[in-house]
Amino acid sequence: MTTGFEGITTASDLIDILDTIEVPVVVVRRDFLVACFNKAAADVLGLSGSDVGRPCRSISVLAGLPRLEQQCRQVIADGVECRADFRDGDRWFVVRISLCTTGDRQISGTVLSFTNVTAFRASTDQAIYEREFTKSILNTVADPLVVVSPDLRIQSGNRAFYTTFGVSRDETQGVPLDQVGNGALALRTLRAQFEEMLAGRNAFQPVEVEHVFPGKGQRTLILDARSLSLRGHSERRVLVTFHDITARKQAEAAKDLRSEAELRRSEAFLAEAQRLSQTGSFSWRVATDEITWSEEAYRIYGIDPTVPVTFELIRTRVHPDNLSMLQEVIDRVRREDGDFDYESRLLMPDHSIKYLHVVAHGGRNRDGELELVGTVQDVTERRLAEEALAKARSELAHVARVTTLGALTASIAHEVNQPLSGIITNASTCLRMLDADPPNVDGARETVRRTLRDGNRASDVITRLRALFGKKSATTESVDLNEATREVIALSRTDLQSTGVILRTELADDLPWVTGDRVQLQQVILNLLLNASDAMSGVYDRPRQVVISTDPDERDRVRLTVRDAGVGFDPQAVNRLFDAFYTTKSGGMGIGLSVSRSIIEGHHGRLWAALNDGPGATFSFSIPCAAGASAIDSSVAVRTPAVTHVEHAMGGL
Amino acid sequence: MTSRRSLVSVVDDDESVRESLPDLLAQHGFAVKAFSSAEEFLASPDMDRTKCLILDVAMPGMSGTDLQQELKRRRQAIPIVFITAHQDETVRPRLLAEGAVECLFKPFSETALLAALDTALRAA
Repeated sequence: MTTGFEGITTASDLIDILDTIEVPVVVVRRDFLVACFNKAAADVLGLSGSDVGRPCRSISVLAGLPRLEQQCRQVIADGVECRADFRDGDRWFVVRISLCTTGDRQISGTVLSFTNVTAFRASTDQAIYEREFTKSILNTVADPLVVVSPDLRIQSGNRAFYTTFGVSRDETQGVPLDQVGNGALALRTLRAQFEEMLAGRNAFQPVEVEHVFPGKGQRTLILDARSLSLRGHSERRVLVTFHDITARKQAEAAKDLRSEAELRRSEAFLAEAQRLSQTGSFSWRVATDEITWSEEAYRIYGIDPTVPVTFELIRTRVHPDNLSMLQEVIDRVRREDGDFDYESRLLMPDHSIKYLHVVAHGGRNRDGELELVGTVQDVTERRLAEEALAKARSELAHVARVTTLGALTASIAHEVNQPLSGIITNASTCLRMLDADPPNVDGARETVRRTLRDGNRASDVITRLRALFGKKSATTESVDLNEATREVIALSRTDLQSTGVILRTELADDLPWVTGDRVQLQQVILNLLLNASDAMSGVYDRPRQVVISTDPDERDRVRLTVRDAGVGFDPQAVNRLFDAFYTTKSGGMGIGLSVSRSIIEGHHGRLWAALNDGPGATFSFSIPCAAGASAIDSSVAVRTPAVTHVEHAMGGL
Repeated sequence: MTSRRSLVSVVDDDESVRESLPDLLAQHGFAVKAFSSAEEFLASPDMDRTKCLILDVAMPGMSGTDLQQELKRRRQAIPIVFITAHQDETVRPRLLAEGAVECLFKPFSETALLAALDTALRAA
């Protein structure tokens, strides 16, 4: 087999061939003299023809290879080529030193070939620089960063990584990440995530990990990971970062603790305030009848706080007299979304009675459902005090009335007894004088004259009394009957509530005013209201409801109606209802309605009564409006009974 | 029976009494003098010969009870029949305890008056 190069046999032939390549080639003899070189060596290294046969060491350009002779000797001895870096100014070369043999396989020297690596060298330097630059940046990052292999073995970390975990670069190189430090970095559960990320299926989701650091104790870290893939490199790397959030966690925990403490404190304040004011709170989801109570509400109702609240439970405590009122309130809320404000009573298991003031306001909760939020206040002490006060006041009024009446009676008696005494004495004297023999007629006449005088004196006493206590003219003014009614309601609300009466008002808008005596009309309204309340005192099977309404009536009149749900009256007695001293009440005097009718008639009006279709009765009066009304007929308005009787009747109803 | 000529003094601020009582008692034979006040009676020379005093309880100035005390102080032992228009039952026992013969409430009857006078004059 031939190579086709059999003709090339001389050194000159070889040089011709070598001249065609751009790599400088220099052949050095065993005695280290330059044997020959190609054209590229002349061009690149600046060798000239006179350099042939000179020792290498004397050629200046080869001085950049100080160990050349030694290296050549080594290559000749070992038969193995070697490489050396060679610098010529800005240029860098890799010099390959290999054996040069003759045709008979005799070693004639060495061949130096110079590969220009200046460009490669520059890019390598740049890479080194950039690597160092990046490294210094990474070392300034406070958070630990570490690059690991796909099997989580540590490749390299930043300074923070080594200092934080208290390890050195050398001892961790190639060590699995979960064995670093004290080996407590539990990453087993994270392996699945790493695998998902490396497979490119899911990005790594940062996770919170706890780690006990030597000298630092337990810290909380956010561990995150990113897959690193370098172009041209098939091997994957993973950058794992740690962010220490211990301080933040502690601050949050402290804040939570503080918030919780403040909340507990606030709740404690509220509970204490509720206890002190004996006011419980509650909420009621109307659609579901879900009721919640505060601790104080449970205490007021005397129910174990662990028991869920239901209306059935509440009914076991509500006083039997107030059950229908409770139902009425519940029904009204369901019907009208209304707020409520009422007083009720509880009958406790020990038979004691509690008085409650219940107020609630309706609103829509987040789900848009009607929800009432309210308070229930135990007003027993206040109510008992009010009742005691009312009783004391009533007793005092009674005493005052009796005392006044006693003093008045004594005064009247004295004033009348004086002339009576004169009358009797004079009459006695007169008889004596007429009985004398002869009769003393002149004397008798004188005694009769004195008798007449004393009789007139007694009469004057009565006249003065009448002037003092007698009839007074009614005052006339324009009266807004609605307003007058509201004032009466405000005055009597407590009385009505204490007897469990639910009062509803239906006062007509734009009601014409009437002309009359405001106080007298209010006495009538009060009388009708309290009569209605009294008529229902024995009613337990239905709400004790009173409806008071005003309406324009026919022919320029206005009408006021009081409708109760009480016991009503005997239909046959309807004509006697308004008679003085007719009463169906055990404590009544039978004067209120009689006086009321007098007052209404004094206002050119009419007062009448009718039985309802259902339970109870309706009392109404109708009086002319202001425009059509003339002044009050005071002679009727102030008819007997006297004022003191009216007051008594009103107060004692 | 006591002497009809014994002096009976009437002390009352009410004119009607001062006019009518003396006339009635005169019909029964008494000598009667009327005074409009306690002070007038005390100042009168008739005080010493008064055998019975018909005395109103309540008067302007010195009251009947004041006069009663004053007479006691002067050791004037005149029997007193009180008369009063105030029908206060608590007054009577108090006056009787102080030595009054009787206490009549106005208007009183002729019989009651004479009975009281009789008792008084017996005591005198």
